[in-house]
Amino acid sequence: MKNQADQPARAITRRKLLKASAAGAALAAFPAPLIAQTKPFAGVTLHGASFQHRFFTLLQKYIPEFEERSGMKVDLQLSAFPVYNQQANLELSSGGSAYDFVNVTFILAARWVAAGLLANLDEFASDPNLTAAEWNPKDFVEGAQVPYRDAKGGTYGYSWEGGAMVMGLSRMDLMEKKGLKIPKTFAELQQVCAEINGSDGVNGIVSFQLHHWNLPPYVQGFGGNIFKNPPGDIMPALNRPETIQGIEYYANLLKSAPKGVLTYTEDQARQSLLTGRSNIFIHSSAWVTPILLSDESKVKDTSRVVRMPAGPVHDYPASNSQGLGIPKNAKNKKAAWEFIKWALSPDISMRLVKEHGHSSVCRRSIITSDVYRKLNTVNGQDLGALYLEVLELPARGENYMAYRTVKEFPIVGDVLNKAFEQVATGQLPAKDAMNAAQDQAIAALRRAGTQL
Amino acid sequence: MSQGGIDGERRRFIAFALTPSLIVLFAVAVLPAIYLVVTSLTPFQLTTPGSATDFSAPLRNYGLLPGDPRFVNSLLVQAKLSFWGVLFQVLLGMLLALLLNVQSRFVEFARTFFLIPMVLPPIVVAVIWKLIYTPDISPLNYSAQLLNFTMPALTSSVDFALTAIIIADTWEWLPFTFLMVLAALQTIPEEYSEAALVDGANKLQIFWYVTLPFITPILVISGMFRLIDSVKAFPLIFLLTGGGPGTVTEVTNYYAYLLAFDTNEIGYSSAVTVVMLLLVAGVSLGLVWMGRRREAMA
Repeated sequence: MKNQADQPARAITRRKLLKASAAGAALAAFPAPLIAQTKPFAGVTLHGASFQHRFFTLLQKYIPEFEERSGMKVDLQLSAFPVYNQQANLELSSGGSAYDFVNVTFILAARWVAAGLLANLDEFASDPNLTAAEWNPKDFVEGAQVPYRDAKGGTYGYSWEGGAMVMGLSRMDLMEKKGLKIPKTFAELQQVCAEINGSDGVNGIVSFQLHHWNLPPYVQGFGGNIFKNPPGDIMPALNRPETIQGIEYYANLLKSAPKGVLTYTEDQARQSLLTGRSNIFIHSSAWVTPILLSDESKVKDTSRVVRMPAGPVHDYPASNSQGLGIPKNAKNKKAAWEFIKWALSPDISMRLVKEHGHSSVCRRSIITSDVYRKLNTVNGQDLGALYLEVLELPARGENYMAYRTVKEFPIVGDVLNKAFEQVATGQLPAKDAMNAAQDQAIAALRRAGTQL
Repeated sequence: MSQGGIDGERRRFIAFALTPSLIVLFAVAVLPAIYLVVTSLTPFQLTTPGSATDFSAPLRNYGLLPGDPRFVNSLLVQAKLSFWGVLFQVLLGMLLALLLNVQSRFVEFARTFFLIPMVLPPIVVAVIWKLIYTPDISPLNYSAQLLNFTMPALTSSVDFALTAIIIADTWEWLPFTFLMVLAALQTIPEEYSEAALVDGANKLQIFWYVTLPFITPILVISGMFRLIDSVKAFPLIFLLTGGGPGTVTEVTNYYAYLLAFDTNEIGYSSAVTVVMLLLVAGVSLGLVWMGRRREAMA
C-alpha cells in the first residue's frame, strides 16, 4: 500500500473534487457580498471598559467565541471600582470616543442618562434588522432597568448584575428555643435582636462601616429620604423628623451588634454571620446568601434568608444593578450593540448560571427557569424568587432607589456616615447631629458647584 | 589658564553634572506640586466637565477652608495626634535607648528586634493593630475577658479611638528615636560619667547633668523629623478607624483623601493638601533653622 506522503502533491482526489464542487455550488447560491454580511463587523476592534467584577472575569472566558463568530476583537479594560468610575466619568463628560461600550455604574447612571452621555439603546433594540425578537428587551427585570431609563422612558443601558437587600438569620435554632419568629417589621426586628443578643455568645445583628449604604432603607421605612425628591430635587433631607427617626432606630439596633461594629468591614460582617457569631445580617444577597450556599458557612442547617423587615411607613429594601451601555460618541455603536446583545443574551446568562453558579443575572426568564431554581433553592428556600421579588420593587410605584443614582449621593452619604457615627457613639443627640449634617451637606454640595 | 577661567570651568562642570538630577527632581517633585497648586485654584470636580480649567474664582477654595468645620477639626485632630505621638515616641525611644545602651551580645540581638516595627510596611503595621483592636479576635479582649474585665472596642470608642491610633503609631516609630538616641549615647565619652561618679553624683544626676545635655539636640532633631512624618499616619487611620467614630480621628490628610476619592472634589482637596504642605514646609524650615543655629553655636 502506498503511503499518503508518497502521493503526488497536486493529485486530484475524489474528496478534493467533492469539496470543490460544494464550494462552487455555495458561491453560485450566495453571491460574495452576502457572505461578507454574515460578519458585517469583521475586523472591528471594540474598546470597552468596566470595573473589575466576577461577571466580566467569567465573560472573558466566552469572549473568544464572540470574536470567532463576529470577526471582531474585544479590548475590555477592567479597573478598580473608583478608578473606573473616574476614568469613565471624565471620558463621557468630555465627549470622548475612546470606548465603544461601557459599564453604566449604578451610582452614576442618573447623571449619565440625564446629561445625554449615552446612546439610546431603544433605537437598536427595536430595530428587527439589528435585534432578533428572541433577545426580548422586556425580559430584563424592570426594577433593575429603572436606573437606565430617562424621563421619557428611553433605555440607555441593560443590566448585567443585580443586587437585592435581604435578611440572613444564622441561628434559627436559638430563636426557636426563645420562641421568636422571623421579624417582619422594624419593631419585631428590634425585639428579636435585643433578645438574642448575648444568648449563647451570639450577637443580635451585625453590620459594617458604610452606614450610609445600610441606613437608607431604615430612613425610608419611617418615611424619610436622603434627598427631598431625587433625582429631580436633590436638596438634602437629613434633618426631617422621619429621617431622624430612622437614624435613631438604626443606632439602637446596633446596640445589639458586636463591639466595634462601627469599624467592621463587609468581610468581617459576613464572617460573623457565617460562623454564627451574629444572628442577623441585612445586606445585598451576594453577601448574605453564602450563609446557605458557601462551604465556609458553619450554620447552613440553622439559617434562613428572607425579606428584610418592613418599616412602619414603607417597605423599601435596597436594590441596585449595573448596566452595559454605549457612549453617545462611540465610534462603533452598532458593533458595540452586537457585543451587548451577545453578553446579555439568554444563552450567555444561562451558561453563567449553569457553569459558574453566577446567580445575580437580571433576565427574568433565567431567574424563573427550572435550572436556576434548582441551583438556588437551598433547604427549601427559593433564593431566586426572593432576589427577583426585591429587585422588582423599585419599578412598582415610586423609584425609591433614585437617591443612590445621583452623583451627589457620595457627598451627602459621607456627611451622613459621620453624623450617624456621632449619634451611635452618643457624641450628639440625633436631632443635633442631623441638623448639623444637613447644614454640612448643603455647604458641601454648594462647594461642589451643585445648584440647590 | 587663569583662576577665574578654572572657576568658571568648574561651575559649568558642576552645572552639567547636576542637570540630569535636577531635571528628574523637577519632573517627579516640582511638577506634581505645581499641578497641585494650580488645581487648588479651580473648582475641579470629576463629575463636572470643564471645571479643571475654570480659574474664574482662583481663591474660592482657600476662602472656604476656615468655614469648613471638618477641615478645622482635622487640623486639631492632627495636632493632638502629632503632639502625643511624638512625645511618646521621643520619651519611650529615649528610655529604651538608655536601657539598651549596654555592651552585651544579647542586648545587641534584642536591639535588632526592636527595630522590626519601623521596617515593616505601614499597611502591615495597620493590619497587626487591626487584629489587636478587633474585639472578636483580639488577644487584648480575650485576656480582659479572662480577668472578668470588659474592654471597650478601642477603635470605635469616642474616648479611645485617637489613643488607639497614637499607641499604634508610637509602636511603629518608637524604634526611630530609639536608634537616633542610642547612636548619640554611644558617642558620649565615658570620662564625663566617671568624673561625675567620683564627684558623688547618683545615676539620676548623671543622666540629668551629663547624658541629657548631650542627647538633647538629637532628641529635638528626631522629634522634629517625627513631627513632620506624623502627618503620614494615613494607613493606620484608613484601616483602623476610617476617621471615626464621627470625625474623632479624621486627620487632615485623611479628609483630603475623602474629598478627592470619595466625593470627587479634586480642586478643594488640592487646597486642603496645599495648606497641609505649607504647614509641613513651615516645620521643615524650622528644623533647618534649628540645625544652622546649632552649627553656629558650636
